[in-house]
Amino acid sequence: MMNTGEKCETGIKELDVQMDGGIPVGSTVLVSGSSGSGKTTLCMQFLVNGAKKGEKGLFFTITEPLFKLMGNLEKFEFFDKSLVDSGMITIIDLRIIFERMGLDSEKYTVEDASALLDVIKDIAKELNAKRLVIDSITALCYRLQTREMIRDFIFKLGTFLADMKCTTFLTSEVPPGKFAFSQYGIEEFISDGIMFLGDVERGGDLVRTLQIVKMRGVNHSRAKYAMNISSRGVELAPLLKTR
Amino acid sequence: MTTTLIEGLKERISTSISMYESIGIILPGTNYTDLVQALFGCIKEHPNDVWVYITVTRPFDSFVKMFGDISRYPNVMFIDCISRASGIVRRDEQCIYIESPTMLERVAMELNNIFNKAPEGSGKHLVLDSLTTLMIYNDPSLVTEFFYQLLNKTRAEGIHSISLVVEEGELDKYINKLIYLNDKILKVRDSFI
Repeated sequence: MMNTGEKCETGIKELDVQMDGGIPVGSTVLVSGSSGSGKTTLCMQFLVNGAKKGEKGLFFTITEPLFKLMGNLEKFEFFDKSLVDSGMITIIDLRIIFERMGLDSEKYTVEDASALLDVIKDIAKELNAKRLVIDSITALCYRLQTREMIRDFIFKLGTFLADMKCTTFLTSEVPPGKFAFSQYGIEEFISDGIMFLGDVERGGDLVRTLQIVKMRGVNHSRAKYAMNISSRGVELAPLLKTR
Repeated sequence: MTTTLIEGLKERISTSISMYESIGIILPGTNYTDLVQALFGCIKEHPNDVWVYITVTRPFDSFVKMFGDISRYPNVMFIDCISRASGIVRRDEQCIYIESPTMLERVAMELNNIFNKAPEGSGKHLVLDSLTTLMIYNDPSLVTEFFYQLLNKTRAEGIHSISLVVEEGELDKYINKLIYLNDKILKVRDSFI
């Protein structure tokens, strides 16, 4: 991580307050949560808020086709399609890149992984992205055969993007109801930060929660916050302490 | 008799909100409708103020039945915590529906959003209807925490709050503790006027 003291504001006020102003620029942050926990929405809001301030954003999707992703995003008030049309936000389906690179096998070799890493780096550099999202790193890691390959991939990507002063969100899929941050148990150690999206049960209802578990270089809150996803996007409020 | 009672209540509430930041109103269930009418009288009398009415006791629909077209009161926004939990599904311009009365943080978020949009300089009022019903759906310690948060937040942001307690026999010990956190208590009695 490049700790220059500069902060990258997510634009979600309560979240930035928890991090004393924002994420250190150039950090790689793991956004962990089970399916439907709001990872994609949070990441897209992070990109859109950046683009509105003039910071270019790059979103790599592996889990959702572009038309579906766009369809979901258009329902949010924070989303502005003109940011995509004008190139302030670029959304790329990584599976198309896999296809074009001939990476059609289920498991990648070291060379395949290296070639893919180069492509991602080239795109980020060419677009001069200041915010980048990979949704999800879990789906990408699935193709990397060993823990070493996963570690190497994330580490090299993170280092390169930190040099570019590009702040990165990697979404990580975890099974519901588990307090785990990743599928392979490596991603959290290489990341500079971890945001965990979970839920707590209250009277049979599930209240969404967000907790910053780790954020290098920041004196951050470790309190659990209640999270809501509405047409306005992600919103947070202090979680009432349940017994 | 009823009209006089409503007018009397309205006057007491109006006077109290001009003097105190937070008011607790303890009333017998039989006077609930009178009090709601008095509150709506206050809302109408302060058309430039922003009002938020959190209803846990009755669904928004029953307010529509009571007052007809709510758009005649454009300065009030409802947060309805009970309709969805009762299986009532409708959409209304002046009402935000919360899935369940247990989603107290969502209530706090919606309050924030509404008051953040209030024109600068306008008076801000919040009605919590009621602490009694919130206690039915939530653990008392949770309601206590929520109420403390709510009072602190409203006081910090200059929002006047009115919290209702519907009295049925002796007051629950938790409610008794909470309602007295308000700056002023109004007790509605049959001999009120």
